[in-house]
Amino acid sequence: MIQSIFLLFSAIGLMAALGTVLSRNLVRAALWLVAFFFIIAVQFVLLEAEFLAAIQVLVYIGAVAILLLFGIMLTRNIQGDETTSASLNTKLIFGALGLALFAVLATAIVSHKGTPERPAWSKIQGRPDDEAGRDGVLTRKDTINNMAKTVGDEMMTRFVIPFEIAGLLLTVALVGAVALARQVGADEPIDRVRKAGFTRDDAPANGSPEGVAEAPGAVASPSH
Amino acid sequence: MLTFLGLTALLIKIGLVVGISQGAVAYLIYVERKIAAYAQDRIGPNRCGREFGVPLGLIQPLADGAKMILKEDVIPKYVHKPTFILAPMIAIVTATIGFAVVPFGPVGAGAPRLGADWPVQFQIAPGVDIGIVYILAIGSLAVYAVVLAGWSSNNKYSFLGGLRSSAQLISYEIPMGLSILGIVLLAKSLDLNTIIEWQDRHGWGIFWQPVGFLIFLVSAFAETNRLPFDLPESEQELVGGFHTEYSAMKFGMFFLGEYLHVITVSFLTVILFFGGWDLPFVLSADQTSWISAIFKVIVMMSKVSLMIVFIMWIRWTLPRFRYDTLMNLAWKSLLPLGLLNLTITAVAAQMILGG
Repeated sequence: MIQSIFLLFSAIGLMAALGTVLSRNLVRAALWLVAFFFIIAVQFVLLEAEFLAAIQVLVYIGAVAILLLFGIMLTRNIQGDETTSASLNTKLIFGALGLALFAVLATAIVSHKGTPERPAWSKIQGRPDDEAGRDGVLTRKDTINNMAKTVGDEMMTRFVIPFEIAGLLLTVALVGAVALARQVGADEPIDRVRKAGFTRDDAPANGSPEGVAEAPGAVASPSH
Repeated sequence: MLTFLGLTALLIKIGLVVGISQGAVAYLIYVERKIAAYAQDRIGPNRCGREFGVPLGLIQPLADGAKMILKEDVIPKYVHKPTFILAPMIAIVTATIGFAVVPFGPVGAGAPRLGADWPVQFQIAPGVDIGIVYILAIGSLAVYAVVLAGWSSNNKYSFLGGLRSSAQLISYEIPMGLSILGIVLLAKSLDLNTIIEWQDRHGWGIFWQPVGFLIFLVSAFAETNRLPFDLPESEQELVGGFHTEYSAMKFGMFFLGEYLHVITVSFLTVILFFGGWDLPFVLSADQTSWISAIFKVIVMMSKVSLMIVFIMWIRWTLPRFRYDTLMNLAWKSLLPLGLLNLTITAVAAQMILGG
């Protein structure tokens, strides 16, 4: 029962992923990506990891995807530009890269050796029993009931190096973004615009030099 | 697995919570208009229903609701239709499902019983032990309503409103999360009931986390898009902001969503910092009788009502922020303050109270 639901949602997730790749409009592709993230959260719930599901929604849907949408909307026209069309060569290169990544991940999962306490991933047939845990190894029940604690412990012990590397990667990206956005010695953006003179094409002929449009003549009405 | 009786009880609870919260929203709009009128030295709505002998214009909310439903629902030709219709739905759904984990009274061991073994839990989903993460996750989805409404309207003012909103809401989510972590560290739980019971034993959260409370309050105002932070819809600059193109009940859904958010945030403030149903020296978690349970619900609702009135009062007290000062407040004041508060709380919780 649970397995068929899981497969059903996986199929929907694959469709959402295809939608992300095949959409020609960037905003729609981003929305498909949001749908895909939701399916991941659903799968976490089906695997009885509600904490991870909530974190998935909080981090990926609530922050990452919104930042993505924000970036797209800030840099493109409001609607309707079909900007994701790439040449055939580019598509082939990126398709090959995607397949290579899939191959690396699949090989890693299949060739996982395991330890005496933890059998190899390819050997696991179903969900481990509640009673299967030995001394020092968390049983499935403990893990499910204290998901937040388990995740925290594992992050700080078993997975501490991948965790720190991921943190470092994010920091590097952040510093890089700041370095790109802020040239050394440059003034605030508005001052640069003032120095360069007002050069926007769509400015009205009698527009103010700062480029600050006059406030629209909206009559401020009390909203209630 | 759910039994038939359990399922019926659950459906009744869901119906009650959704019905009461939507009805409360209608009257909150009335209360807000009255408070606005008081702040501006006017009288406010006082006519509607006089023909039927209802005083003080008390059926004004009914008239407002009828107006929303009966108006023509215009969908402009140039909008992106699926998203345009989806956005108000997201607004109201995200605002409503947050109530699933909000406790309205005693839950768990302190819940009153029907007969020998039927505890009546004053919460839709009493077993969720990550309540606060759930509420934060649902709250972070509310941005989509605003962003999608702004984008799909295909209108520069709406679009600017949507962009402003996404930047604002993402910025203020961070100090909000940091401010909540302090009380979570002290109570050692993500479960809202455990946090209330901890405050019942040790004193209200506002005395343990005054800085956290301040940060939470400011971020909560920003997250609800209410007046000192209502830049996404500031009507002097952006006509109507993200909902410029919306009419009739689609606009009404954004409106309902906003007020439901105010209720959720008030509940969260009361639960995290004002002890939930707790009243010092009078109510405690040990009392499990029906009388104490009803008293606890009344205490909780009174605190929440006071909080809602406080939020409305602030609206007519403070002027709107300018956009850069808004961002400075989040990133340069609240974020360092929140980190400092969290570090000090963590050290104190480990060294003094014992890990």
